[in-house]
Amino acid sequence: MPVKNEKTEAEMAADIVRDAGGKVVGRTRLQKMAYLLEISGLGCGFPFEYRHYGPFSEELANAVVNAQIADLITEEERMATWGGFYSIFKTTPGAGPANSNVNAARKQILDLGMEANPISLELAATAAFLAAEGNSEPWAETRHRKPEKAAKYLDDAKALYAQLRSIKTPKPLPAIP
Amino acid sequence: MEVVEKRLGEDSVEGTKKRTALAAALVHDLGHGPYSHAFEEVGKRFNLPMAKHETVTDLLIREGEVCTALNELGSGFASDVANVIKKSGPANIYGAVVSSQLDADRLDYMQRDRLMTGTYHGVIDFNWLLSNLEVGQVPYGADDESVGEIETFVLGPKAIYAAEAYLLGLYQLYETVYFHKATRGAEKLFTELLARIITLAQDGSTSNTGLSASHPIIRFAKRPDDLQCTLALDDSVISGALSMMKNSKDPLISDFSGRLRDRDLLKCIDISESLNQKLGLKTSAKSNRSKKSKAVVPSATASKQKNSTAEEKQRVDSLDKACYAVEKRLLEYKEGNRSEIPQLLLDKPPERSIYRPFEESKGPLNQIMIRPGFGDDKPIDVASLSQVIKAIAPFKAFRVYMKDGDKKTKKAVDQIIEEEAKRCR
Repeated sequence: MPVKNEKTEAEMAADIVRDAGGKVVGRTRLQKMAYLLEISGLGCGFPFEYRHYGPFSEELANAVVNAQIADLITEEERMATWGGFYSIFKTTPGAGPANSNVNAARKQILDLGMEANPISLELAATAAFLAAEGNSEPWAETRHRKPEKAAKYLDDAKALYAQLRSIKTPKPLPAIP
Repeated sequence: MEVVEKRLGEDSVEGTKKRTALAAALVHDLGHGPYSHAFEEVGKRFNLPMAKHETVTDLLIREGEVCTALNELGSGFASDVANVIKKSGPANIYGAVVSSQLDADRLDYMQRDRLMTGTYHGVIDFNWLLSNLEVGQVPYGADDESVGEIETFVLGPKAIYAAEAYLLGLYQLYETVYFHKATRGAEKLFTELLARIITLAQDGSTSNTGLSASHPIIRFAKRPDDLQCTLALDDSVISGALSMMKNSKDPLISDFSGRLRDRDLLKCIDISESLNQKLGLKTSAKSNRSKKSKAVVPSATASKQKNSTAEEKQRVDSLDKACYAVEKRLLEYKEGNRSEIPQLLLDKPPERSIYRPFEESKGPLNQIMIRPGFGDDKPIDVASLSQVIKAIAPFKAFRVYMKDGDKKTKKAVDQIIEEEAKRCR
């Protein structure tokens, strides 16, 4: 739990949920939104690495656990129709009231992330990660790594990414041909 | 791969994919640096790409002598192998050989680490597990969205006890080997030591490290993006340099290298264990294990079990809150009492489930699936058939390391533990 700036990582994780409207459905959605904030210069310094589900931050996952311990957010697990479980994160009063001064670009990214299909969001974040790592064909590589998901959701992911890139962020999201 | 061929039929298994999976299983960890995960921790702190074993593994497979050897098996073979590893997970049955709940790596390292450490814990019935390994279809998804089904390894119904031993053994190895307090204490010293050397070398103060400018550690510190500088590092290079580091002018380097060389490790205080005792919890002294001891009581009535589960949740919540509060205060204490040699080293690794995490959502790929042998016989989570597995809570640890005989720091830590335990009672 390294203390960065003035906030703890738990507080920064709770801020993401709060700035997304106080409720985030899904761990994948939370991780990918946090990654997109990070590479657009609107994050809090969580480091990300490539995992099975694309960019993932163990530090963020840990911060989410700590945010629950600190009574900043709650996590409710529900059974998904496909047989697994997904999580719903909600802020508690301990996280403070909604922040009316949220950076506009941060809010736009979170709004798009909240509306997106989680698989499209995962593919868009994966392509962004690959592009940031210097891959010359991020979409092709994303399709290669996630063929089943790409078959159905890649076009949607590309459209989502185009919308994300149109947001004026401190660091532009990488261009993906 | 023999299991895959046996279950799917030899004709269904593509020769190239089979060879690719086997080669990938063999070389997927080539890129680990000295002291493996502790080295990666240093890399994270300084954002060093070559300290990530995935990056180095990929480069080794795509370039150089490994690449040449692999390509003798076919043009582009090395690239295919690297691509399987990059997919990072059980994308299909071939990927499952390399990375899944029952992958070759895990089945191998559990046996190897037992042998190398000399422990008698964590024994697995490897042959029985292999004999009962099958290929099955399991659903997967992302959050609340379904993706479809995926082919992966599942166990046959006769493997239930072997699965119990496998998972319980893994859990025991967490405590007795991988996260043993002495292992972690040494890793903490190594991380701080290497971090300090890199800082000094990058600041132009190599002469204070005790190492010459041409030493592989210094060369790596100055050129962390250079693959050859990374490959020049291994365990023996580090351990062989400890005596030179001992003569460093820098207090931390001199002290920590001497401790590692002479195995004079820092004293460990188990914070969660101390809090567990101070909170007056009636269950097993080891906080992680208490769920097991409760869940296997055969005579417990349903109502007693319900109360027991609620009590257990309350116990875990209290302990988590107390640990979190203590961690915050210890970090503040450390910040307020900075010295050349840190008085405290905190160790709170992320909790570890006995299942290997692949999905961010919980699902079959994050579980060991077993064909129950009854009903529709579709693979189900082995924990739903085994009270023993169901009761294994994730492994958690929270420890602090300090110099033996440092009464001031010990008193401060004890006081923080006492106060936070009182607050959480």
